[in-house]
Amino acid sequence: MTTIKVAIVDDEELARKLLREYLGSCDDVEIIADCANGFEAVKAVTDLKPDLLLLDIQMPRLDGFEVLELVGREVNVIFVTAYDKYALRAFEVHAVDYLLKPFSLDRLREALKRARVRLEGKQPMPAKELVAAARVPGSHLERIAIRDGANVFVIPVSKIDYVEAQDDYVSFRSEGKSFLKQQTLAEVENVLDPAHFVRIHRSYILNIDRLSKLELYAKDSHAAILRDGSRLPVSRSGYARLNAVLK
Amino acid sequence: MHPILASRSRTLLYTAAWLPVGAMLTQVLVRGGSIGWNEAAAIVFPMCFVYAFICQASWYICTALPLRERQPVQLIASHGLASGLSALVWVGLGWVWTWLLGFVFATEGLESRYQEQMLVLFVSGVLLFLLAVAFNYLLITFEVSQRAESKALELQVLAREAELKALRAQIDPHFLFNSLNSISALVMADPAAARRMCELLADFLRGSLKLGSEARIPLSEEIRLAECYLDIERVRLGSRLQIDREIDPRCEKCLVPPLIMQPLVENAITHGVARAIEGGVVSLHAERNGAGVKIIIENPFEPETVPRNGTGVGLKNVKMRLASHYSGNARMDVNKNDGRFRVELQLPCEHS
Repeated sequence: MTTIKVAIVDDEELARKLLREYLGSCDDVEIIADCANGFEAVKAVTDLKPDLLLLDIQMPRLDGFEVLELVGREVNVIFVTAYDKYALRAFEVHAVDYLLKPFSLDRLREALKRARVRLEGKQPMPAKELVAAARVPGSHLERIAIRDGANVFVIPVSKIDYVEAQDDYVSFRSEGKSFLKQQTLAEVENVLDPAHFVRIHRSYILNIDRLSKLELYAKDSHAAILRDGSRLPVSRSGYARLNAVLK
Repeated sequence: MHPILASRSRTLLYTAAWLPVGAMLTQVLVRGGSIGWNEAAAIVFPMCFVYAFICQASWYICTALPLRERQPVQLIASHGLASGLSALVWVGLGWVWTWLLGFVFATEGLESRYQEQMLVLFVSGVLLFLLAVAFNYLLITFEVSQRAESKALELQVLAREAELKALRAQIDPHFLFNSLNSISALVMADPAAARRMCELLADFLRGSLKLGSEARIPLSEEIRLAECYLDIERVRLGSRLQIDREIDPRCEKCLVPPLIMQPLVENAITHGVARAIEGGVVSLHAERNGAGVKIIIENPFEPETVPRNGTGVGLKNVKMRLASHYSGNARMDVNKNDGRFRVELQLPCEHS
């Protein structure tokens, strides 16, 4: 049997200690990373390429789902949490298993067995779209996690000025900086709160709190002027959507 | 009890309301042609005074015949009969009184001139009585609706108290699961610490149950429970949680509603320290000021983090409980700045 390379991610020292102790008694498992938060986890996945993440959900700054969204294609995951309310979401992102704290060594072994089946079967990893689909319906994203290599940026949605489509990527514009993420603009539109974010153009989603004024510059076409002075094109249907929200 | 006659001021007001009625009836008698102003007034005003009270007898009939429960025919018959009888008695009494007045004014045949007006007086008497009936029904309806309203209010208060009681006794199950997981981790590595954690957890659970069932407890007990909770969380969070405690011994005897600090201390951990990568210091501070006691709970928070669901529920409950317990004599101030979240309670210091 090949050895499974595991990364442990939990913000509690004791919880990691328990996982280390349990894993120590399992055969063919090697702990290659021990991460105290989501940022360390993303870095570990990038640098060390583990086969499996044992991932806590409620962690500071970057939660377990956000970690998975950032590294989803590269690793299998077993969630380890005290909360049962995320179980459905966990399986929607194709988690191998979902362990409820406190759990027994036998239960962990069972989860590892499933992971091994998944690894040897070479089943396809969850696609990004599935991760996005796992959002609780009706809820909106509160922050955007963006990965640049091993670096992770977390941007509260209220700090986003606008989102621009660029080929296979979208660019989030926030506080004078741009952050690229591999995603479609339609996906972004779906997870942002429509009361604040409006698709004003095929290539643009605008945070309406940033809107300073609308200018008519040709028949049927407008330009949105933002507070910082930048100009974005507004299509005819975008203008109608904008009016509906601003009303 | 009769709503008007039960209070002296209402009786006076009611009697005064009859003065214009007296004036009107006086004019009716004078217009009749054969009675002078003085005599008419002397006849009518005492009659009105007496009739004012006769009419109030209708209140008892009205309570015995509630509008909604009786047939209209029955209502009309009863009140018609009562008003007719009352007016008859009244006009009769009026005749006797006029006959007596005949001696005072030394005028011949005053009572016979009165007799000519008896029909008019009788009709007026019936109408006045019916007016009193209508007025009484109005009073009864008003009273019933007022009673229903105060009952509804009372029920609302009771329901809220029950709700608050249930809330304050609630222990977050995830706190338990996480604590049990910590114990599970400690069992092999540090059995003594695992045992200590079990004891802390037992103390905390016992304390919550006991304090939750009492109406008021000394502040010292509330603080002890909070410390027990923080000790447990310190095992879980390790060096990420530091505690800074500054309690003025003079406020330990003050009585407070149980578990009034607990939700705030729990917030300080779940929304503060546990969500900060580096952790931080939770400070508990209590001091006497004037006749009151000031309690401050402070924790670090990351301004970048967005509020998680459930934020604000604990704060709202504490605020509601302060309002229901101290009715406006207590205050809760919340402010955030410089990465610190600070809740300040200002309560009167009560003693048993």
